[in-house]
Amino acid sequence: MKLTDSTADMQGRILSVGGDDHFMNRITSIGITEGTAFQTVRNDRKMPVLIYLRETLISLNRADAERIEVEAV
Amino acid sequence: MTGSIALLGQPNSGKSTIYNNLTGARQHVGNWAGKTVEKNEGSFTYNGVKYTVTDLPGSYGLSGNSDEEIITTDFIKSGKSELTVVLVDASQLERSMFMLAEFARLDKPAMLVLNMMDVAKDMGKDIDTDALAKKLGIPVLPFNATDTKDYDKLKKLIAEELKKPHKLSVKAPEGKADVKADSKAKFDWVSEILENVTRTRESVYKMSKFDRVMTRPILGKVICIAVVLLAFMVSMIVMLPFAGVGQMIPTLLHEPVDKLLTGWNVHPWIVNIFSMMIPNTLSFTISMASFVLGVNIVFGFLEETGFIARAAYQFDGLLSKLGLQGKAICPMLMGFGCTIGGACGTRVMDNWGQRMLAMSIVWAIPCASIWSIIPVVSGMFFTWWQTMLVCVGILAYVVVSMIIVSKVFGRKLAPMETRSGMIMELPPYHKAHWKHILKEAFFKAWDIFKRALGTVTLVSLIFYVLSFSRDGNVNNSLLYRVGTTIEPVTKFFGMGWQTFVAFLSGAFAKEAVLGTLNAVFMGGNSVMEAAFFSQGTSTDTALLGTAMSQAVSAAEALAFMFATTFSVPCLMALSTTYKESHSLKWTVKVALFYICNALVLSCIVYHVAELFM
Repeated sequence: MKLTDSTADMQGRILSVGGDDHFMNRITSIGITEGTAFQTVRNDRKMPVLIYLRETLISLNRADAERIEVEAV
Repeated sequence: MTGSIALLGQPNSGKSTIYNNLTGARQHVGNWAGKTVEKNEGSFTYNGVKYTVTDLPGSYGLSGNSDEEIITTDFIKSGKSELTVVLVDASQLERSMFMLAEFARLDKPAMLVLNMMDVAKDMGKDIDTDALAKKLGIPVLPFNATDTKDYDKLKKLIAEELKKPHKLSVKAPEGKADVKADSKAKFDWVSEILENVTRTRESVYKMSKFDRVMTRPILGKVICIAVVLLAFMVSMIVMLPFAGVGQMIPTLLHEPVDKLLTGWNVHPWIVNIFSMMIPNTLSFTISMASFVLGVNIVFGFLEETGFIARAAYQFDGLLSKLGLQGKAICPMLMGFGCTIGGACGTRVMDNWGQRMLAMSIVWAIPCASIWSIIPVVSGMFFTWWQTMLVCVGILAYVVVSMIIVSKVFGRKLAPMETRSGMIMELPPYHKAHWKHILKEAFFKAWDIFKRALGTVTLVSLIFYVLSFSRDGNVNNSLLYRVGTTIEPVTKFFGMGWQTFVAFLSGAFAKEAVLGTLNAVFMGGNSVMEAAFFSQGTSTDTALLGTAMSQAVSAAEALAFMFATTFSVPCLMALSTTYKESHSLKWTVKVALFYICNALVLSCIVYHVAELFM
C-alpha cells in the first residue's frame, strides 16, 4: 500500500521509493530507504503524513508520501 | 599562528549553537560567491592561536545538487580549512551519521562531535565513544552544545588535531551509480560502524500529549496562531523599557540643543539636524533594535523548544502555494504587528532564498500602525460600514499582493526544483536554554543597532532636507516644490501633491502619515515635525477631516489609502530587511517593486472609484 493509505500507529516497513534523483536524494538522506522499519504516527486528511523512522519524527507532504510504497509488519 | 576549521552537520544537529558559542561576536556574514547561500565565518582564540571557523550550510547529505551541497563539497575538497568538525545528533545517531558517510568519501582530516549526549542519555541510549573513535580512526567528542564546559574540551581537541590531524581510517562507503543503491550503501556503512557501539532499540513511538494536540488539523493551527500573537505581545513588552529610554532622548535633547545652537547663531537648518533629526533617529533605531531583541528572544525560545517545526507542519500545505516553507507562518503573523518583527523573525527559515522571499512577502502585510491610520482617514470620507468595506478590501488585496510578490520573486529566490514539498523532521521538544537564547538575542540586537544606525541616519537626512522649511510652512519646503512640480504625474496615479507627500512620508514612518496630512492640509505643524516627532504631534482628526474632504475627492482618498498600505514598509523595516538579508541589491529590488505596485494600485483604485463615486 501507499504510505498515504497507512493508518496511525501502524508498524511497517518501506518497500520502495519512486521519483527522480533529486527527490530520491532528499528522501534517502533523511533516512527513508527501502527496508527501513517505521511507524505511522499521524495520517490526517489534507495534512502531511507523520512517521517515526530511525528514531526521528518525520513529516512528509502528501504528494511525496504517495510515492512511497510500504507494508505492515 | 593560525588555524582554520569548518563545521559540518545536518539541520537540527545544533551546528549554529556551537558556531555561535565558539565565535561569539567575532562573526562575518556574507554570501558564497555567485550563490544565494549565506556564508558565515567567525573566529576564536585559544592559547594565543587564532582559529577561523567556517559554518558550512546545513543539508541532510552531500550528494544532491542543491547549492548548499555543492558549496559544502567544494569547500571541503578545496582544503581551505585544515580540519572538518563533523557534528552528529547522538539522540538520532544512526540517521545523522549519514553525513559522516557522505564526508568519508572526501578523504579529508576530520573529528566527530556527538552532540546532544544529554538527550541521548535521557532516552536511555548508551554510546561507546571510545569504540567509535577506534573504528573510525578519528577522535570522537561527546558533547552538549549548551554546556559551557564542553567548549573548552572542544577547543583543546581542535588545537591538538590541527597539529596532528587524523583522517578516517575506515574505508568510505562504496559509490553506486544509482541514487537508491548509493544511499543504501551509506546507511549500511553506518550500521556496520555502529555495531557494538550502540544498540538501536526497536520501540513503539508514543507521541507526547502536547504533540498530540499540536498536530491536530484545526486545533493545532489555532494554537500556532495564538502562540505567535502572544509572542508578538511578549516582544512588545521586552521592547518597552528600552524604547522608553530611547524616546526620552529627543525630549531631553531637543530644547537644550536648540537653545545652545541658536544662541551661537547657527543656521536653523543645522540646528534642527542636531536638535531634532539626530536625537529622533537615535530614538527610532533604539526602538527598532529593542523590538528586534524581543523578537529574537521569543523566536529563539520557540525555535529551540521545537514549536516552529510544529507550525511548519501545520502550515506547509498552505504556504507552499507561495513557494514558502510552512515555517514562514511565524514571521508572517508577526508582520501583522510589526514588519520589523516579521523581517527579523525570518531567522527561522532554512536558507537565504527562503528568508528573502519570506521578507518580501511579509512586506505585503499591513502592520499595526497602518491599521491605526486607515480607519481614521477612511472615517473622514466614509460612513462606518463603508470603512469596514475598505478594511475588507485591503485584507483581500493583502492576499493578492502576496501572490504577486511570490510570482515575481519566487522563481529566483525559491527555484521550482527546490520546492518539491516538505520532508522535514520534527525535533523532540527541548528545554529552552535561556542563557544561550538571551546571549544570542542581545548580540543580534546590538549588531542590528550598530549597522542600521548609519542607513537610518542617511535616509533621515534626505527626508530632513526635503521637508525642512525655515518658518515651518510646508509651502517653503523642497517637498512642496517637488510635489507640486510632479503633480500632473501623480494626479494620474490618483494622488494630488498633498496626498503624495503623505504617501512619501509613510515610507519614512507609518505614524508620520497623519501628522503629514495635518501639515499639508492644515499647516498646523511642519512635515518635518510630523516625521520626526510622530508620537508627539496631536492631530485633530475632525478638523483635518473637514479640511481634507474639501480638498480631496473620496476616490483620491481611497487611492491614497491603498497606496499607503501597500507601498514599502517604513524605513526601519526596510533597513532591518537590508541588515537581515545582507543584500542591498535585493532589498532595493523589492522596494522598487513595492513602490511601483503601490502607484499602479493607486491608479487603478482611483480611476475605478471615480466611475462610481
